[in-house]
Amino acid sequence: MSAGGPGGEAVTAETANQIDAKGIGIGLIGIYIAGISGIPYLAFLAGIGAIFATKMGADAVRRVCSYGIGTGVPSIGMLALGMGLISAMFGLAIGKMLGVVFIGPIVGLVLALVIGFVVGTLANKIIKLNIPVMERCLMEIAGAGVLVLTGLSVMIAGSMDFVVISKLVIETGYIAPVFILGALGILHPFNASLGPDETQDRTMVHALSCGAIAMVIGGVCSIAVIGPIAGIISTIIGLAIWYVTFMGFIKLVKRDAGAGYVGTGLLPPGAM
Amino acid sequence: MTPEISIIGMLMGNLPSIIGIIIGGLCIAVGVHFVPVGGAPAAMAQATGIGTGTVQLAAGSGLTGLLAAGYMYMTLSAAGTPGISEIVLICATGAVGAMIMITVTMLVGNWVYIYGVGVPPASAKRDYDPITGDPQTPYVAAGTVGQGIPTVCFVSGAIGGLLGGLGGSLIYCMLMWVNGDPAISSIFAIGVFLVNAVLPSYNIQGTIEGFHDPKFKRLPKAILACFIASLLCGIIAVIIPSGAMLSGGA
Repeated sequence: MSAGGPGGEAVTAETANQIDAKGIGIGLIGIYIAGISGIPYLAFLAGIGAIFATKMGADAVRRVCSYGIGTGVPSIGMLALGMGLISAMFGLAIGKMLGVVFIGPIVGLVLALVIGFVVGTLANKIIKLNIPVMERCLMEIAGAGVLVLTGLSVMIAGSMDFVVISKLVIETGYIAPVFILGALGILHPFNASLGPDETQDRTMVHALSCGAIAMVIGGVCSIAVIGPIAGIISTIIGLAIWYVTFMGFIKLVKRDAGAGYVGTGLLPPGAM
Repeated sequence: MTPEISIIGMLMGNLPSIIGIIIGGLCIAVGVHFVPVGGAPAAMAQATGIGTGTVQLAAGSGLTGLLAAGYMYMTLSAAGTPGISEIVLICATGAVGAMIMITVTMLVGNWVYIYGVGVPPASAKRDYDPITGDPQTPYVAAGTVGQGIPTVCFVSGAIGGLLGGLGGSLIYCMLMWVNGDPAISSIFAIGVFLVNAVLPSYNIQGTIEGFHDPKFKRLPKAILACFIASLLCGIIAVIIPSGAMLSGGA
């Protein structure tokens, strides 16, 4: 649920631009190395790209949901992957149709930014949510959705070709865990960490560990798709990232949990 | 290797499918307004409705509807490409599938509220139930905004399931017309479904009791927003061919 109360802009240590640059940069580089090299043992790089994209999405969710959207945090994660799914598949398909496979992820990303902007504008101007960061955050969330879906799909299939992904990831049904784990990585960190004592670094470490879980499951799926060795490499690297980030998360939980309390003030009039 | 596929030509040729996707999206948007969504307060029996968020309910009923519609599509398409009358049957199957899911959720939820939590279902938005005429105010516990799922909410929820399932199956059928690939069609239908379920849920601010709720009057705004969003999704969706079409029918 929303953080409650009047809400306001979230306090940030790492700026949105830095997180976006890392998410888009590492996301695309990982997807391209894994997709173009053709070496199945490098497929895990797309998964690492997806982890950073997850972090970018989770930070955008954090910023938009700290205003209190009234519908619960999960809705925006599902919206992200709904928009991301359409854009990611369109991007990969258009790359295949035009015969230049490698434009796929970038076309998908650009389209997601457009859809995110349109949906954000609709939410602000027509539905009148009046959240100042809505347009930008929905663009980031949709972009993160595309990169997570493309990254995990490329990691499972070991290729950026739409026909291969369609046959190995979509028709086999592996798109379902990719979809729901990608959405969880984006929506869960803030949903679990929200509250008056929420801190950005704790939520972000949580996002990385959720992304790593998606990578582990993607690696298990790819054992059956591109081969046991490549799949096991992805799984083990995912597990290692998960262990490191989850231990970091526990450390930050202990840091933030002390004996103190944070005053939240009285309930606003008419809150009940 | 790469077939020549004109994007403009595909858009014009698939105009009926785009219109179908828009109608499906609007059905979903209206359906969300009918489902009694209570959110976290309802989970604690402090508000009327089902105790979870709009998106979970919409996704649950929509996916059940898609499964039912997909099965019907498979059965009917054994005789050839489905025409209009088959599509009506498929959409009806999807609608019934979604209605079964949402009504079972409401029924079992009501058992939990009545026998588990021990509260009488009552609506806080009306003094008398518009369908049965039963008084509601005496049964609303102090400090809450109703609890459980009273008759009017149940009926409204069933209508919401019908519209959601209808919309989801219609989108699925339209995509099957375009690309003929059940996997891509269903995953795309889910994507379009989620976009059209989340936008209206912002419109109702997360909770609504059903068609008798004053928030229901906000419906036109959601219809306008979802029309634009579905148009965008529809245009993108019909351009995507199936993997089999791209690899030259292999």
